[in-house]
Amino acid sequence: MRQALLALILLAASARSARAIERNFAGSAQIDYHWLQHERNDQGTRTALDGVTAEVALKVAIDVTEKLSANVKVCHGCHGFELPMAYFDLRLADELNLRIGRFSPSFGNFNLRHDPANHATSDKPLPYDMGRMIRWAPWNMGVLPSPFPDNGLEINGTHWFGERVQTDWAVYAVAGFRGEANSLDLDWSRSLSSATFLVDNNGRPTVGARFALTVRLGEANDLSLGGSGMHGTFDPGNDLAYSIVGADLTGRFHRTQVRAEYLVRRQAFNEDPRLTFKAPTTGTGRDHFDKHGYYLEVEQPLTDAVTVLARADGLYRRGNVTADSPLTTRSAVFRYTAGLTVALQPGFRLKLSGEGWAFSDRFPEHQRWELSIHLGVVGTF
Amino acid sequence: MSADRAVLVVALLALLALACAAAAGEGLDPSQLPADTRDDYAVFARRCSKCHSLARALNSGIDRDSWWEAYVNRMRRQPGSGIAPGDVQPILRFLHYYTLTRPRGDGASADGALLSERE
Repeated sequence: MRQALLALILLAASARSARAIERNFAGSAQIDYHWLQHERNDQGTRTALDGVTAEVALKVAIDVTEKLSANVKVCHGCHGFELPMAYFDLRLADELNLRIGRFSPSFGNFNLRHDPANHATSDKPLPYDMGRMIRWAPWNMGVLPSPFPDNGLEINGTHWFGERVQTDWAVYAVAGFRGEANSLDLDWSRSLSSATFLVDNNGRPTVGARFALTVRLGEANDLSLGGSGMHGTFDPGNDLAYSIVGADLTGRFHRTQVRAEYLVRRQAFNEDPRLTFKAPTTGTGRDHFDKHGYYLEVEQPLTDAVTVLARADGLYRRGNVTADSPLTTRSAVFRYTAGLTVALQPGFRLKLSGEGWAFSDRFPEHQRWELSIHLGVVGTF
Repeated sequence: MSADRAVLVVALLALLALACAAAAGEGLDPSQLPADTRDDYAVFARRCSKCHSLARALNSGIDRDSWWEAYVNRMRRQPGSGIAPGDVQPILRFLHYYTLTRPRGDGASADGALLSERE
């Protein structure tokens, strides 16, 4: 990873001196303070990543030729230095682009804006949460924590029909998410850690596709509808499968942005006889759970400098769990967020958001709302 | 409301008021632009703010038309960008104007010679 970081720095350093090839050097940094009303649960365990966190990203985009470009991005967050992007795009036409390397495959709408500089709150919608949610450990984060870089190949393209209708499509084969044969869920860290992402654990690719349609409704309005899906196996023996599907609808009406997404993941797991489960086991040695996630948000600029946001999001998990899990066979979490950003300088914004949380587990305690506040700044260049 | 929570709320409100007082926009003030550039800026502002702040483009440091062209076309090809083929020329016209007139670190405007490819 140090070599990748060094290469990125060298590329950036040469960006202004070498004019023969177009290079764009960009980056962002977010510092966030997360305040929790109750930072520990009844067992005295911390329930969230509270306090100060920092996410830093540096990216270089290089147009090698008119048809060939490269993107390299290094970021530093919870998992240390990571390489979420290192790929080539070989573009034969707008409608036919071959992407090879390490990248987040096309899935959903949010992942396009996953960089902290490109969304209004310090955290992500719950379906895409990567550790900032309260009780993230028993929930194992969201449905599809974003970003989700992987090694592989994607063929994608875009086409405009006239000036009003845009279509986007993508199909891909990537290494896929990982876990052990006795894992009860995906091990997200194995997709992010440089020590484990290089070599696939089962040799069988995960495949997926996305299609989206954007329709312009007048000069200042547009509406996008998309559908995504991926399927693969995650264990070394290729016996345990996961499937993720999602639908997204986003609209822009003058300066108001409305976004909604729904994701669901069906996840197989082995009924390890050494474990005790809350519900009776199937007896087949294998079971599955479904994890649903949604968000609906409205983002409204009040001035050129101030933007407000309202969001409702949630997760729902249905399926057997081990006896020691704080979850039940049907668990849900609901969150309501009010946030705003203030541009202190162009490219430098303050982010403030308040969140109200409700959990379905451990009746009737769920009726006690959890409150949290994020206060952060994000800078881009 | 406990005293601690009241202090927290007051501190946040004070911070917010301070931030709003110090706020500076992410984009440009259209009224400060020449009349024949305002429509082009409107297309730029409308299309390019869909996925990111306008400052990301304005602060990119790009100073050549061919470079802007590659940059805008890369954005146009982003899924769901909403940047139609007919939007490209107005956006490039505005960025050409912006590159010529933007304030630079040395207090001078950009060197027009850098833009000779389009002039």
